[in-house]
Amino acid sequence: MQRFLQYLFDGLSSGAIYALIALGLVIVYRGTGHLNFAQGEMAMISAFMAWWLSSNWVPIWVAVGISMVFAFGLGAITEGLIIRPIGQRSQFAVGVAAIGLLLGLNALAPFAWKVTVPEAFGSLFPKKDTDFARIGGATWRYENIGVLICLLVVAALLFLLFQKTKLGLAMRAVASNADSAPLAGIKRGRVLMISWGLAAAVGAVGGGIVASLRGNVDPAMMLAIFFSATAAAMLGGFDSLIGAVVAGLALGVMENMVAGYLPDIIGQELKGSVSLLIILAVLLFRPSGLFGSRRVERV
Amino acid sequence: MGADLLEVEGLHAGYGPVEVLHGIDLSVGEGEIVVVLGANGAGKTTTMRAVSGMIPRRGLVRFAGNDISDTSTDAIVRAGVAHVPQGRGTFSDLTVEDNLRVGAYVRNDEPSEDIERWLNVFSRLKDRRTQKAGSLSGGEQQMLAIARALMCRPQLLLCDEPSLGLAPILVQDMFRTLAEMNRDNGTAILLVEQNANLALEIAHRVYLLETGSIVATGDAESMLHDDAVRKAYLGY
Repeated sequence: MQRFLQYLFDGLSSGAIYALIALGLVIVYRGTGHLNFAQGEMAMISAFMAWWLSSNWVPIWVAVGISMVFAFGLGAITEGLIIRPIGQRSQFAVGVAAIGLLLGLNALAPFAWKVTVPEAFGSLFPKKDTDFARIGGATWRYENIGVLICLLVVAALLFLLFQKTKLGLAMRAVASNADSAPLAGIKRGRVLMISWGLAAAVGAVGGGIVASLRGNVDPAMMLAIFFSATAAAMLGGFDSLIGAVVAGLALGVMENMVAGYLPDIIGQELKGSVSLLIILAVLLFRPSGLFGSRRVERV
Repeated sequence: MGADLLEVEGLHAGYGPVEVLHGIDLSVGEGEIVVVLGANGAGKTTTMRAVSGMIPRRGLVRFAGNDISDTSTDAIVRAGVAHVPQGRGTFSDLTVEDNLRVGAYVRNDEPSEDIERWLNVFSRLKDRRTQKAGSLSGGEQQMLAIARALMCRPQLLLCDEPSLGLAPILVQDMFRTLAEMNRDNGTAILLVEQNANLALEIAHRVYLLETGSIVATGDAESMLHDDAVRKAYLGY
């Protein structure tokens, strides 16, 4: 039981990070129908921004907040200057452009900030050796609880935005029928830019948290996480926010359970392969994921 | 009929290199119902899409005295032109009520009163207000599309073949509702149709569109008795 709880607690925290990145993927997908391969790298760049600010005497939480604003701008500009013009010519090319953006941003971070080794990043949460709760013999570190709380707050805010505000209504309308949205007076271009910006800002929360848990920033910090987050988004159905949260958490727990209970077969080194198996299984057996909308349409 | 609400002069439009409209002129007066009749491929839908700025166009489009030839679709809607596109253009993942709220997007006030109003007019939608639009029948979706368009309180309603794919009884219902709405609110309507019989019954004026050009125009009454029109569009 103690072992189970330990894997559960650890899994929830990595799962919360997957969920944060997956939420960004879902927001973009609902908006423009694209898989943003650069979602993880945008989060990485944002984490670098937060690191740079915090190493210049900005308090760490404020630094992450500013990095979210920076990410919003980065996402919005990416949509307006890269995704939309390319998408008007070829949707396939958008995927290629997003992969290019992944590689470009990955190379840009060390270049822009002139760093070659991982740079130390302060912690967002209490991180002393004694900062943990003991539940059923297992330890649940405060920083891991903090990660989970961050995810739940972000998810709740997103839910309110989409369900209770006019902007959210416009975003849902564009997601449902992009061609008709302008006929209701909705500025589609602006809504899409906001969608990409919002996705990147949510990603920046994820980036800040990853840096905080690692204790440093590094250009490679989001690569493996991005793959697991993609698997989570797929498992959740790609167009469902709640799906991204549930699937992200579930995937994190699953990975840790598999790695923990099968240390010789899977172990920490191979636990990322769990997400690849899940991508495969979802595509084969349930392409619309667990929460995805199977399109109901009568004509 | 008062001054012209919509004036179109020398309108050219098409898709890529293919020009579909070869410079058409038409107008809709305030409170008027105008029908554009034409066969498949005559350019009816293109006319509607060009007026509301959904496709590249050349020529003059003026609404309520303002030149809207270079105005974007969403700004044209805000100016008071609502468009019910062919294929209805409802938001299938959204509930009936949310569809109506989207329709009121350009308004700054709380739309609840209008939502109740149109749910009462289109009473079949009332029982389905929390249902997703995609699960409605074709007739219900058409009602929803029209109600959605009316939510922005337009001065001019563009209706693109609302009878398409509907049972005859529903078509009659729908045309009656459109006529009532025109009478009660003074909303002008530009309607394109293949179903000439019913359209001519509610219309004030008619244009005939053939392969991208206006070939005849007149008031609905005289068109009903025009031999050429009867042969081509009414079938008797």
